[in-house]
Amino acid sequence: MDKDAFLARVDRYHRDGWRLAIINTTSILPAEGMDGGAFDISWSFASDQLIEHVRERVLPGEEVPSISTSFGAAFLYENEMRELFGVNVTGMALDLKGQLYQTSTIVPFAPSAIRARLDALGRGDPAPKHEAGAKKA
Amino acid sequence: MKRTVVPMGPQHPVLPEPIVLDLVLEDEKVVDAIPTIGYIHRGLEALVERVEYTEFGYVVERICGICSFMHGMGYAVAMEEIMAVEVPERARWLRLIWAEMSRIHSHLLWLGLGADAFGFENLFMHCWRTREEVLDIFEKTTGGRIIFSVNRIGGVRRDISDTELAAIVEKLQQLGAGFAATARIFETDPSIRHRLSGVGILSREDAHAVDAVGPMARASGIRMDTRLTGTHLYDRLDFEPVLETAGDCLARVVVRVREISQSIDLIRQAVDRMPKAEGAPIEVKVRGLPTGEVFERLEQPRGEVIYYIKANGTKYLERFRARTPTFANIPAMIKLVKGCDLADVPNIIMTIDPCISCTER
Repeated sequence: MDKDAFLARVDRYHRDGWRLAIINTTSILPAEGMDGGAFDISWSFASDQLIEHVRERVLPGEEVPSISTSFGAAFLYENEMRELFGVNVTGMALDLKGQLYQTSTIVPFAPSAIRARLDALGRGDPAPKHEAGAKKA
Repeated sequence: MKRTVVPMGPQHPVLPEPIVLDLVLEDEKVVDAIPTIGYIHRGLEALVERVEYTEFGYVVERICGICSFMHGMGYAVAMEEIMAVEVPERARWLRLIWAEMSRIHSHLLWLGLGADAFGFENLFMHCWRTREEVLDIFEKTTGGRIIFSVNRIGGVRRDISDTELAAIVEKLQQLGAGFAATARIFETDPSIRHRLSGVGILSREDAHAVDAVGPMARASGIRMDTRLTGTHLYDRLDFEPVLETAGDCLARVVVRVREISQSIDLIRQAVDRMPKAEGAPIEVKVRGLPTGEVFERLEQPRGEVIYYIKANGTKYLERFRARTPTFANIPAMIKLVKGCDLADVPNIIMTIDPCISCTER
């Protein structure tokens, strides 16, 4: 990710008075050309009734800068990202050093951890893709 | 000055659920607070790996026993958006009515716990007795008092007859009239004012800076309520959020007290304005496998909840995430605790209405 461009964009939201609504991480399972998997991270900002999202795809170990200097409440999401997903967030205003959650599994939502659970369930290969959408009776 | 660390929790008389705050004290002043959660982390979000999307609503509504209905509703409407399902209008009205009833019972529950925390046990009993009447309505209309399982993707499982809706409105209005005396005590009793007024002040600027949501933000004068988006039929009702400006513990109590009356009025409006269509469809059958992603927002009793769902065309979702209002309000809680007297910490924590089960997922 382009950290400078990302932080500049986040700072614009801050200066324009938006609030941080959620930071969401989704693990992308290992696949061809992406052996260790990846993370899709969305930073969502709200202003009145609007909500906008900034999304980045980062690789495991890749540095993700904290936005807690602009949005103080981000530290909670960022500690969660690191503890549950293993995202390498740097520069958090309040670093809880792994004490936020007391989970029995270390980084339970890391791509490799999810892959291992799916393999154990006999779902090593992704289920076949079907036509999307719904049919109404 | 020498600093002392006092761990508060995970078990504490004022905490209905486990959270630890390591309070760093200088004499009797709190100068820092370090939170630790995770004592009841259940990994519910990880269950998307093994529970099919059609059944996952049962998991979602078990995130919390107080917000159960609205968690189920949030999951259903998010999935309906992904799958482009048009839900029958009557089902949408019924959801709104149950959602507002959830707000009433949640606020009553919290007011009781709050009263107990600041030493007014008689008030606790009044609030919880009143709440029982709301739970009776839930039981009559959904079959459950805590977990309702009435939402499903495509609508709701149960209808409420027009006659019964009218009776519910009458019952709630009686309840509201009876609660007025209790509400007056919350707002005017000298002992309550002494404990809460001017304590734990979150200014409007600070509330914005820590991204507070729900009654927490509204008690600091921020006009913020997901119902203002007009989704889920709120655009058909006359609605203006309850605001207070003092930002202290008392203001947070008053906002919730007044939101009970407001929710009763919203239910009255909904029953008045929904088409009299008893027996009309309340759900559509949904088939197929979802693809896509969505962010869905609802105004739960404690504030804005955000669901993120990503579906990949299989019967298992790829990701389910719930950002609950308590999670969003933890930074505000830490902000409030810093600088307060140790003796005020329990009341300050209570007035954010913390739901740790929701937060832990």
